[in-house]
Amino acid sequence: MALPLPTGLVPTEVAFLCEMEMVTIVPRQRLESITLLSGKTPALRPPHRAELPLWLALLLKKQRRANIVPPPWLLPASLQDLVNQETNIDPEAFSPPPPPPMRSDGYGAAHSYTQHSTNPADVVLAPPFLPSCTQGAPSGYLPYHWLEMAETLLAHAADDIPGAADARALLRDLQEVRAAKMRGSTRHLEGGGGVLNLRGVGAMELAESRGFVLGIVDGVRKLGASVEASRREEEEEEREGGGGGGDSDDEMEF
Amino acid sequence: MDIDDILREVDPTFDFVPGETRDLQALTRAWVAERSAPELLDWPPDGLFERINDRIKQQIERVEEMTGDMDPKTNFALIVIQTELERFKYLVRSYLRARIAKIDKHTLHYLSSPALRARLSETEQAYATRHQALLHNHYLSSFLSSFPQSLQNLNDQAGNISMIDTPDLETAVFIRLLTDTLVEGRGTDSDGGMDGKIGDIVILRWSDAKPLVDSGRAEVI
Repeated sequence: MALPLPTGLVPTEVAFLCEMEMVTIVPRQRLESITLLSGKTPALRPPHRAELPLWLALLLKKQRRANIVPPPWLLPASLQDLVNQETNIDPEAFSPPPPPPMRSDGYGAAHSYTQHSTNPADVVLAPPFLPSCTQGAPSGYLPYHWLEMAETLLAHAADDIPGAADARALLRDLQEVRAAKMRGSTRHLEGGGGVLNLRGVGAMELAESRGFVLGIVDGVRKLGASVEASRREEEEEEREGGGGGGDSDDEMEF
Repeated sequence: MDIDDILREVDPTFDFVPGETRDLQALTRAWVAERSAPELLDWPPDGLFERINDRIKQQIERVEEMTGDMDPKTNFALIVIQTELERFKYLVRSYLRARIAKIDKHTLHYLSSPALRARLSETEQAYATRHQALLHNHYLSSFLSSFPQSLQNLNDQAGNISMIDTPDLETAVFIRLLTDTLVEGRGTDSDGGMDGKIGDIVILRWSDAKPLVDSGRAEVI
């Protein structure tokens, strides 16, 4: 009865999560609004575009009731820019994640999609609930679920994607470049510096190397446990003796 | 949906997210966090789970009513509804099973103090207590009873070493920052800190990440 899976999302669970991302579709048939557990779907009226979660869009696509509009970042030109960004412009870090989406409030001011400061009861949104794979998403930025989204769309809706063959080849390049960066990031893990920022990494990339990366971090911690304990003791003594004047003293004192 | 929700729906200054969608977001976040965190997290407050269970029940009733109807148009709607229902049931089941796996692993630890007990829902508490009692009785009847009286407990603290296994709170986790905030983490050679930006994905120890996650400044991924 208990879940036999290891801690941390496995790739199939990440794919499940990715299916909650919203995508834009062009319906081919009328379909009335359906009341689902997650709210009502928009009524579909061809040729008006609508935004639906990926799982529903795929269902409609398989039954030829709709075409999927690929997100702008999945077009070959955008992917080419991204490969360039990853290999030439910044060969060290991952390309940055998309900027937080903004929306208008109807009075001319723009608000961040992620924050509802007016109502603290609202949850702060994060992927997969940000519109990062719809028609309105910016090109040239890889969203959190980029790999799964691209794979799924190319597998089930390749005829809707212009330049699908090019996109496939470019995606493979991206995947390799970024996998090398992911492996390279372990160099920073050895030092045991406390925090490591992996800004821009994707969900599937994390799921793939989660065991490896976390294994290293935990292994280094266990090996260095006694060193760390004695360092903390020294710092503690220094603080008591020196009255907080120590140069390695970066913690607040009360 | 109450009057505030209706008012917000027509007010352009709010981006309206219906309660159902917000619940799905909250459930998804709880599931991901529970799957990735090394210890059991708090049972979601404000009746989130009861609400979702009620809705699933209602939806199942609706499906039962609709299956009598053989009109091809509603038939497709039925497929969509059932697909979504299965997705919801998977989420709920996986979430509960992930929690049971943690409870099973460290039952005595989660029953040992009122603060830890409060993390369990009522059903989970009943499950953990009964499960532990059954297990201990089984141990007693099969081998513990032949030990001296003083060695029959499962929660001895002799020599300042507790027998109760606890989850390793120093395990590293991945978190995503939901606001710009200072992130501090302890390391082997030095302690690190950085000015985190919204959307940053950071590896650090769970014990350092927990305050950020609890205050809603970050989420476990």
